Amino acid sequence: MVHRYINNDCHIVLDVNSGSVHVVDEIVYDAVGLLEDKLSFEETAKILSETYAPEEVKTALEECRELKEEGMLFTEDIYKDAISHFKERETVVKALCLHIAHDCNLACRYCFAEEGEYHGRRALMSFEVGKKALDFLIANSGNRKNLEVDFFGGEPLMNWDVVKQLVAYGREQEKIHNKNFRFTLTTNGVLLNDEIMEFANKEMSNVVLSIDGRKEIHDYMRPFRKGKGSYDLIVPKFQKFAESRNQEKYYVRGTFTHHNLDFAEDVLHLADLGFQQISVEPVVAPPEEPYAIRPEDVPFICEQYDILAKEMIKREKEGRGFNFFHFMIDLTGGPCVYKRLSGCGSGTEYLAVTPWGDLYPCHQFVGEEEYLMGNVDEGVTRKEIVKEFKDCNVYSKPKCQECFARFYCSGGCAANSYHFHDTIHDVYEVGCELQRKRVECAIMIKAALAD
Amino acid sequence: MKHIKTLNTKSLQNTVKKGGCGECQTSCQSACKTSCTVGNQSCEHSK
Repeated sequence: MVHRYINNDCHIVLDVNSGSVHVVDEIVYDAVGLLEDKLSFEETAKILSETYAPEEVKTALEECRELKEEGMLFTEDIYKDAISHFKERETVVKALCLHIAHDCNLACRYCFAEEGEYHGRRALMSFEVGKKALDFLIANSGNRKNLEVDFFGGEPLMNWDVVKQLVAYGREQEKIHNKNFRFTLTTNGVLLNDEIMEFANKEMSNVVLSIDGRKEIHDYMRPFRKGKGSYDLIVPKFQKFAESRNQEKYYVRGTFTHHNLDFAEDVLHLADLGFQQISVEPVVAPPEEPYAIRPEDVPFICEQYDILAKEMIKREKEGRGFNFFHFMIDLTGGPCVYKRLSGCGSGTEYLAVTPWGDLYPCHQFVGEEEYLMGNVDEGVTRKEIVKEFKDCNVYSKPKCQECFARFYCSGGCAANSYHFHDTIHDVYEVGCELQRKRVECAIMIKAALAD
Repeated sequence: MKHIKTLNTKSLQNTVKKGGCGECQTSCQSACKTSCTVGNQSCEHSK
């Protein structure tokens, strides 16, 4: 399977199964289209010679033939058997999302955690529960050395002492068990202070700082419970935090909604505030919510991605570039095929833990009782849920078979599928369309900067 | 090549034999939490 597209005057050919990316001229671009339609090289040459000089057509087709022989064009999908064999391996757990606080000091309008409470009651995780979670992770991690623990919420800084105790416990245990904990923190910044920053800079391999962009956008969607906006309080703290981490190993992370479809402005606002690691994602919300992204919003959003991509190229060339997480693509050292086919690992190697120690497939399933998998005392008791997630991949979803982006999103987010279709084995179509656009932009940026 | 510039020479197919160590970052632990960003990650061994 081949995907051809033109973006920002770049003619790009993506060979889906090998992951090879080719920047081509118009002759090759047309040739690949004809060859993809099962025309022979001779037939293709004949047709192209009506438009292009025969000598040029000849060399262009020779180059296509060479790439094909080298396994970089028109390659076959050889992974289906490999993945079924790979999935016979025993599942290990390597990452936990610890819901350290089901409570929040903001009342964000789009919160999937329902102001931190996740369809349940307000609660803080005790050190005892957290300790058992880390013990569970170590005990179920097999030979994996790198273990990831995200302190999530609600707002984790509302239970900061427990976070510190758990980091200390993890550091003690990793030596005993020859593991390496990678702790991360996701925070809205309200309670952030110098002591927390100092601790996080020492112990957290990544921090995710929630901010949506322009003040009016941020304050509308991320108010305090009494309605006041949070922008003015958090921005100076986040700027200080980002600088203290040398502008790396963090993300300012925003959500855009139907209310700010011109989100490229918000991304650039964050860049203008001095942030160099930026992630702004589309909200995923029930269609009846006024802020939900609607199918008819997709063309406008795609234009915004184009605008953003061009501006990023410009700034990069001017020496003031920044990273946009959804455009990050590692063409030479990207994930192996197993990672791409296993997806995010939810329900198998990545689990969420509630304040009272219940286990769910990921943070977005917390509170969905049919997906309650077990708890930190007894471990995973409902193995059938693990199996369901293990069997959910690119090849189990019919809609992925014809999609060129399937090895980039790995079949998409199981929770999104569940929330839109009541099954994890489907896809969230709006998300798919935006994903495809982002992959195109990400590759185009690489092509433009390779000149 | 005159007509084609290839941006990457490492084929995904080559990772069938050597890949799968599982030490790389879980995508939702990076920055997303609402999308699936496997394609935005890097291989642990390429860092």
